[in-house]
Amino acid sequence: MARRHLDRVILLGFAVLAVLLYISTASYPGIAQKTSALYVRFLAVSMGILSIVQLGFSMFRDHDTGRLELTDHWPRFIGLLAALIVFALVFEHAGFYLSAAVFIPVMALLLGYRNYPVIALTTAGVLGFVYLVFEKLLSVNLPGMAL
Amino acid sequence: MFSHVMAVLQPYSILTIIIGTVAGVAIGGMPGLTATMAVGLLVPFTYTMDPALGLMLLGGIYCGAMYGGSIPAILLNTPGTPAAVATAIEGFPMSRKGKAGLALKVSVIASFTGGVFSVFILLLFAPMLARQALHFGPPENFLLALMGLAGIVSIADENSSLIKALIAGLLGMIIAIVGTDDMSGSLRYTMGYVELVDGINFMPALIGLFSMIQMLELAGLRRTHKIDMSALHKKQKSEPLPKGIFKFIALGAGTGTVIGVLPGEGATIAAFISYNVSKRISKLKELFGKGNPEGIAAAEAGNNGCVGGSLVPTLTLGIPGNSVAAALMGAFIIQGMIPGPDLFTQYADKTYPFILSMFIANGVFLIVGLTVAPYLARIALIPPAIMVPVVATFAVLGSYALNNAIFDVYMMIAFAGFGLILKKLGYSLEALILGLILGPIAEGGFSQGMIMGKGSPWIFFESGIAKVMWVLIILLLVPPLYSYWKNVAMVKAPPKEALDDLDSLNEPE
Amino acid sequence: MLKKSILAGLALSLAFAAPAFAGDYPSKPITVIVPSKAGGSTDRTARMLTETIKKQNPGFEFVIKDIHGSGGQKGFEEIARARPDGYTIGMVFTPQLVAHIVSKRARYTLDSFHVIANVAQDPGIVAVPKNSKIKNLADLAKAAKAGQLTVAVNGIGSDDFLAAKNFEAKAGVTFNLLPTKGSTEQKAGILGGHFDAAFMNLSQMIAQHRAGDARIIALLADKRDENAPNIPTSKEQGYEVYMTATRGIVAPAKVDKAILAKLDAVAGKALASDAFKAAAKKGNIYLKPMSGPDYLAYLKQLQADTQAVYDKAPW
Repeated sequence: MARRHLDRVILLGFAVLAVLLYISTASYPGIAQKTSALYVRFLAVSMGILSIVQLGFSMFRDHDTGRLELTDHWPRFIGLLAALIVFALVFEHAGFYLSAAVFIPVMALLLGYRNYPVIALTTAGVLGFVYLVFEKLLSVNLPGMAL
Repeated sequence: MFSHVMAVLQPYSILTIIIGTVAGVAIGGMPGLTATMAVGLLVPFTYTMDPALGLMLLGGIYCGAMYGGSIPAILLNTPGTPAAVATAIEGFPMSRKGKAGLALKVSVIASFTGGVFSVFILLLFAPMLARQALHFGPPENFLLALMGLAGIVSIADENSSLIKALIAGLLGMIIAIVGTDDMSGSLRYTMGYVELVDGINFMPALIGLFSMIQMLELAGLRRTHKIDMSALHKKQKSEPLPKGIFKFIALGAGTGTVIGVLPGEGATIAAFISYNVSKRISKLKELFGKGNPEGIAAAEAGNNGCVGGSLVPTLTLGIPGNSVAAALMGAFIIQGMIPGPDLFTQYADKTYPFILSMFIANGVFLIVGLTVAPYLARIALIPPAIMVPVVATFAVLGSYALNNAIFDVYMMIAFAGFGLILKKLGYSLEALILGLILGPIAEGGFSQGMIMGKGSPWIFFESGIAKVMWVLIILLLVPPLYSYWKNVAMVKAPPKEALDDLDSLNEPE
Repeated sequence: MLKKSILAGLALSLAFAAPAFAGDYPSKPITVIVPSKAGGSTDRTARMLTETIKKQNPGFEFVIKDIHGSGGQKGFEEIARARPDGYTIGMVFTPQLVAHIVSKRARYTLDSFHVIANVAQDPGIVAVPKNSKIKNLADLAKAAKAGQLTVAVNGIGSDDFLAAKNFEAKAGVTFNLLPTKGSTEQKAGILGGHFDAAFMNLSQMIAQHRAGDARIIALLADKRDENAPNIPTSKEQGYEVYMTATRGIVAPAKVDKAILAKLDAVAGKALASDAFKAAAKKGNIYLKPMSGPDYLAYLKQLQADTQAVYDKAPW
């Protein structure tokens, strides 16, 4: 998608958000009408005006036809994003150590790193550090302690 | 007083302070680990420790963590604490130019100066200052938040997309209204998620918007960027501090201490106000946003100045200056020392060594920072392929550990994905995070002020302090707005700042 | 012989199938869920209590797990949802425990819990700035009638809020109620003279009262508190407005009866011990031991009272 088109879609989205937000303040109960609702309405109005003004700028002044390049390397970019989501999904069930022990090497390989000893050492180092700092020092309850 | 000094100079005390400070630096440097969390989690363990030693340990963590946040901000553009966001704006461009060593040096010296100054103030003027801080009521807190938010304009005026920066700031403030409405107790926009009752946490947002986006960008680079190695090989001593930098350090230290004394999340506000003011008075205005050490000096002195400042009302009145100070107060209470005048009389043998120990803590991180900085600067040379998975792991872990909630991890990923699109479209993520953090403070002050004023907004102009603050806000806003207005009249299309950024990342060696 | 070994085998397999067999309970550390921040007063109460139980009963080990947020709701739900094997118990505090039920947000009811005991309390107070003309509750009611008073409470639906609403009803006045985020803001507002009065808890203001930085004009109880014997009660002043924040200990309701009995016994013993009393005094915790049935009755009454306030003015 062209950069300016996405820009306009998002600005339009912000303007719609502002309108919805403004409308929603009508349902604030009691005392909130005199306090929070005023604050939220101020935010909504400012947001609405600014997005419309910027949208206008974009319509009349922005003739840039360039594409929006989120990344140079889509497979790696999507790979990292997907791996993160999988990591988050798995982490609560399989435990932190197991999922991190898979995540780190897989990501490193995906990004084209081939120095295996360094990968192994880094993974072990991170897990050891987390064990010491999070569990021993700060006693954070990480999932998968029973492992 | 002499006996208190001796109590601090015991080998055990020194060792405790060193451990606390070094741990603090590491905690502050890790995305997702905050001083609040570390102090909060360690308070119960000090229960069984010697009271003075326990407090020294926590004080060391506090001092160290505040400084530690600047290290990843400079090296990787991943601020470890929200107070270090301003540092990242100047520090990371310096790193990219191969000046990471200098940036780290400026940061540690500014942090040290700000920290020591504020502890001096705490030691000498605590009771008097605390009385003054009490004049700050809800209306003044609202204005203080506005002063911090004025920083949005200052972030923006370099790349002339002021409107987009304002939109980003507003978006942050709008995201921040999700959760309980404190005025009515009703839930706003929580969609039935119990995780949203307390609102959207700013830590997952900070991690997502900075650490994770940085990693996504690194992962997506076709060619890894190389930093000018030669600059790193130079001895650090050969890089003198920029001339006139102490003016900015002093500015930050003063601002930080004053703002720290006022209750509220002071460190972020202090860093941004110092940064903003330094940009106004600097002779090198055009360098701001592109790696000006003056900005680092002001921001870092500012946030470390809050350490001593925040303890002023905590120790004298039992009103914690921020969330770390609140956790620290728990440590005093658990030892049976209820904050108030008693701390300086009945428990003087523990309170004064605690305050004095923070001088040492500042000294410890100064030494650590100066000796380790040249090596730390090499972190920027670690190949992205190994850096990305490690930082991503800590980003996930940090988001989770904050509340033991997997919900926060998804939040972090969502912020990273949506934030990256906004960033590429020229929105300022710094403005977004500033709005997210300061929005609730502004809202609280505004709503409470309106109740106090019984519905009349005049309360925000009533007190002398309020009037002075309005003048300051106007002084902070008018010059950048004026210069922006001139720019809009002159230039037609805004430059494609975001794309330029990427190009410089891709520059071949 | 064969019969015996089959029986033994059966017993053994049963023991494995239900590791929470009362006889060898506890065979591993018990997780105590604390629905507030580490270092807060509920957390400190839990740590002191478990420390005492551990010392008195060899074999008992505890792990404290702080789940803070949403006014304790997350933590309360976690206790109610926990596996009923006796290895997860937790702390509760009022009135939030019942307020969440009343406001229909909670995914638990009082029946989700077995109430072990109440441990501590923090009585409600009314505080005013040190140079305020308001010296007692009658002054407060008079001033409120003359003009709107800005009165700070710690959030809507909190104990302070309920007490203030109750006082409004009893005295026939209406306050300009100002909800704050936490007691820190209340303290700062009272010490700085920004608010006319605040409904708070004793432990939050006692040091400032003693230091002369603020004045507590009433303890919202029928009897004076031994920690602050010079503060007059609301009953003495002719207003039957009582409020206290209690902190008790509960287990999920479906835990094996024998295990619950054991937990009740060790908690009761710890609460009665001098060591625990001394630790609480040092840590600024006001003890109010109540047996399980007494505390449950108290909770039920509180829920009914809260419901009445909610029905009039929901939040």
